[in-house]
Amino acid sequence: MPEPLKRKKRDGTPYERPPEIEDWLKKLEAVEGAERIRQFATLSKKSVGHVPSEVLVYFLRRAWADAKQGDFEKIFRIVMKRIEQSLCSVISDSRMVGAKDIREEIMDRFAERIAKDCKGRAGLLDFYEIRFNQAFAAFRTSALRQIGPSVVDTVPLGTDEEDGLEISAEVEVAAAAFLSGDPSKLDDPAFRLELTAAIDSLPDDQKQVIGLLLQGFQIDSKDKDVMTIARILRCDERTVRNRRDRACKALKVILQKENAQ
Amino acid sequence: MTVEQHSRPSEEEVLLAFSVEPKHDRKTLEQYLREYPEHAEALAACSIELMVDATRGGATAVTSEDAIDRAWQRFQSVVSLPDDVPVVNPFATLNPIAFKSLAKKLNINNLLLIRLRDRAIDATTIPQRFVQGIATELGATADTLMAYLRGSPAMVSGHSFRSTTKPAVTEQISFEKAVETSQLTQAQQDALKALQD
Repeated sequence: MPEPLKRKKRDGTPYERPPEIEDWLKKLEAVEGAERIRQFATLSKKSVGHVPSEVLVYFLRRAWADAKQGDFEKIFRIVMKRIEQSLCSVISDSRMVGAKDIREEIMDRFAERIAKDCKGRAGLLDFYEIRFNQAFAAFRTSALRQIGPSVVDTVPLGTDEEDGLEISAEVEVAAAAFLSGDPSKLDDPAFRLELTAAIDSLPDDQKQVIGLLLQGFQIDSKDKDVMTIARILRCDERTVRNRRDRACKALKVILQKENAQ
Repeated sequence: MTVEQHSRPSEEEVLLAFSVEPKHDRKTLEQYLREYPEHAEALAACSIELMVDATRGGATAVTSEDAIDRAWQRFQSVVSLPDDVPVVNPFATLNPIAFKSLAKKLNINNLLLIRLRDRAIDATTIPQRFVQGIATELGATADTLMAYLRGSPAMVSGHSFRSTTKPAVTEQISFEKAVETSQLTQAQQDALKALQD
């Protein structure tokens, strides 16, 4: 039987792995060690027999606990390879200045987390046995806030200096129409996917505003109990509107280009 | 978070807990924002990363063994450190000259550095880039420095004066307030405030 996770939720109940991960663990516990590692090596998610990374983290921790140094190093390298691959798509050389150094620093930091886990501290790797990709996205977000470039080098709009400038009424109207004029369009999965990919190419400050708007947050409110974008991002509501308008302008260009292709 | 932890969870822990929630909708995000207002911007950034992550491809990436070797070496060096390393004061080894020199390198004055050393500033309000900068100059990791800064404020020591009241630890102030009240030049204040974005 796979060992239960040690970490507890805010309400005191223990975290649990999803049933499909538990099934994988049970299945692979019955497989001989060398064969298991051979199966782990399948890198592409699309390949038949690709083992989820959550499962790799479980067996990585078990190899350490069982003092199987050779197995541990092999699984460690496979996990790192997967991490590097995922980082290459998010922090690509064309997207950020110094991308290679940033990717390596994040990998090093993750190696540190594994080392701390091996020493029995904090048990943060439990999260990676539940939802690896999401947990790693959280880890990456936190790391990038510390070491990443402040501006993603893609859309040359929206510097902080411009935040105080007024946007024309036309853009304001276009932005509002884009985000709320046709809600049914946002329900279309194909459009939403296209839109999300376009949002990903925006500078971080604009990406946050658009992301929060899409999640249903309002820009500002007189009611102090309402969680608004201005309050979340701790900035003036005019700054939020300007970022939104600039983002909408950029998104329109990107989406028009996409559709023209 | 875990039962054995008494202090507020770090940004990384909060984001990890959020990431494994079954849904990352507005309701879940709001719950986390209300519970951890000190990590609001990080939570917002994380929720958007989770939203766009699903649309990213990337199976064509070429991985390098060098980066993996480097990570393995980092693992080995950290795992071989002695267990239960206590929270250390990374400023402790600095003599007065080195202390002044550090302030100069960071483009701040001694007063602000003393406030940082004495943990008179609420650690959650200090910009991460600034912490990273100090850590680099001190030859420490940002994690080590942050662990120290998160501790309780120190009793002001080294002062010799008579007082009719018992000396007490003063309440922590925000980074912004510290910047405004540390007799820094306007240019220094602007540079530090710019780090907060």
